[in-house]
Amino acid sequence: MDLTPFLTQIFIGLYKGSLYWILALGLVLIFGVVRVINFAHATFYVTGSYMMYTFYMYTGNFILSLTMATLIAGALGVAFEVAVIRRVYKLETIYQLLATFAIALIFNEAQKLVWGKGVVYIPIPEALREGVSIGGVTLNYYMILIMVIGLLLFIIVILFMNNTIMGLRIRAVWRDPVMSEALGVSTRLIYTLVFFVGAALAGLGGALTVPLISVGPGLADYLIVTAFIVVVIAGLGSITGAYIISVLVGVLSSILVLITPELDIVILYMIAAFILLLRPQGLFGER
Amino acid sequence: MSVDRRGFIKTLGAGVVGLAVGAVLGWAAKPLEVREVTKTETVTVPGVVERKLPKATVKIGVLGIRSGLWSTYGEFIEQGARLAAEEINAKGGILGSRVELVFRDELADVVKQAKELVDVEGADFIIGIDSSGNAMKVGGIVSELGKILVVTHAATHRLTEELVYKEGKKLIFRSSVPVYQDGTLAAYIAKDLPVRKWAGINGDYEFGRVSWELFTKTLKALRPDVEFVVDQWPKFGTEDFTPFISALLASDAEALFTSIWAIELVTLQRQLTIMGGYKKFRAVISTLGYSMDVAYSLGTDYPTAELGTWVSARYMWPYPPTKANKDFVDRFKARWGRLPAYSAETTYSAIYMLKAALENAATLDPDILIKTLEGLVIMTPAGVRWIRPEDHQAIYEVPYGRIVHKGAEVPLLEDLKAVPAMLYYRHPPFT
Repeated sequence: MDLTPFLTQIFIGLYKGSLYWILALGLVLIFGVVRVINFAHATFYVTGSYMMYTFYMYTGNFILSLTMATLIAGALGVAFEVAVIRRVYKLETIYQLLATFAIALIFNEAQKLVWGKGVVYIPIPEALREGVSIGGVTLNYYMILIMVIGLLLFIIVILFMNNTIMGLRIRAVWRDPVMSEALGVSTRLIYTLVFFVGAALAGLGGALTVPLISVGPGLADYLIVTAFIVVVIAGLGSITGAYIISVLVGVLSSILVLITPELDIVILYMIAAFILLLRPQGLFGER
Repeated sequence: MSVDRRGFIKTLGAGVVGLAVGAVLGWAAKPLEVREVTKTETVTVPGVVERKLPKATVKIGVLGIRSGLWSTYGEFIEQGARLAAEEINAKGGILGSRVELVFRDELADVVKQAKELVDVEGADFIIGIDSSGNAMKVGGIVSELGKILVVTHAATHRLTEELVYKEGKKLIFRSSVPVYQDGTLAAYIAKDLPVRKWAGINGDYEFGRVSWELFTKTLKALRPDVEFVVDQWPKFGTEDFTPFISALLASDAEALFTSIWAIELVTLQRQLTIMGGYKKFRAVISTLGYSMDVAYSLGTDYPTAELGTWVSARYMWPYPPTKANKDFVDRFKARWGRLPAYSAETTYSAIYMLKAALENAATLDPDILIKTLEGLVIMTPAGVRWIRPEDHQAIYEVPYGRIVHKGAEVPLLEDLKAVPAMLYYRHPPFT
């Protein structure tokens, strides 16, 4: 039996999993620390995409555009936290959901006014246009770059959380915001910081995909569903869990496309439902 | 001879009766055609009988996707509808009545929107609808609405074959070519290509399924030596096709068929190029590949396969090469700044179909208008449309063409291949 098709599916799955991870990481951070289920997360993603497109159109510089897109998405996250989220922390979850959902809708429509209803994209950087060809499938260098960035992000976040004072403070707020506040940690500052990082990560994910996935208004509405599945399976609040599950979901869904093209998504949802039944807190969740 | 008063009246009475009888007999004895000529003359004398509609405004409710990722398509419908209405109103309306348009988003519960268009807005007609599922939903309640519905985009053959032909829902019409274009005609293109092994990637919903089924059935009948070696079914809203593409590329297929459309098609074509699909597939058939959103988005990046990237749509602006079409394209471009998308033309023509029916019948009575529309032959930008009386489907032809780059604002088409519509459309009794 020729295993090449499986190898290429696994490779594609690792790339897709890395994308899910970048989105899921922001979701997990924001939920873990701020305890808000952020429906507007896809909005930051698409903002990153459009910013990447716009800066690239004007400058033609990939690295600069990527940086600007990430920072602007992060800044938008801060504005969002200060203007909206801060007012609904203490309210019931349903109000948080409504507020974040409303923001998502407003941004979707606003983006249409600015960038039009059609789709836009930018070319893959010259140096990464080629790839390795295995069994007729070209595994593009750009996809490899996304995998590497995903892995680097994982290492950086884990090191930051475990080895810095700020990481310690974030973990403290994550565990017990009231006690942290009593001990002099500014939860307000931590919340804003986490929103910046979460939104910037979503923006980075969005910016990285413009050369591979064309962006249009509301594009990430579908992508975000998978990111939510990842977070639910992993357990809301587990960073390592989110990385492992992102990669597994990417690889599994990719292999399922090859072996059961009729049922690929169904099986994924069934696994999620099954895990929720057995472990409602998720595979890596504590609560 | 003296005549007394009584005698005079008698004679006069007899004379009057005689004249009357004579007149009646004479009128009755007149040859038939003479009578008809008299009747026609009375009607056509200007100012004698004024033909007008019972309302000063004809209201047309327009449904389309106006939010989310597919909202470009609602915009195309709107552009076609507005251009038609503006032209008609500038020339005095329909029998003196102005055309007014009301737009609603079909993604916000299409049944509710359709009912509100009729009950709240007072629409006399409903046109548009992008999604096949939505067309079937509105088609299902059309008798309740009591207004004529002209579908201008949704492509499921079930709308006209089942709802109109089999269930007798005569209020439904369609101005755009259905899935016969995507499934059947594509097979006529594929049969002439020197490839044997086909792959398919189609949406995992009604339209995608039917397109692939019609394509494989028709091609197998035309070319028994072909094989269909792999088929993939991404869901509606797939943002990334890479796992599907690598699964397609793992097969030994030589050519690819796809009915994926809109934003998804842009991504699919780009990722096919990036992943080496255009090195492997010698020919690609993309049934909605010449939708203008796709042509504008891909531009010079539109990939061309060795034996051609064959594309079509439900109308393509370069075809037919008539003056009527060229003038339409020019007017459209002057109004909206872009070349007309297919659903803009099909909606534009739907309004002109209604105009023709209203001018013939001079009434808003749906039953009379149905009879007027059935069998209607009308010149439109896409060519002559004939409304087939049995299933209320507009019959006209749209070709396939090969993508070429000539430095124009969009990729152009070469080797346009048209097959007479009557050959590739399905026919009653649709077995």
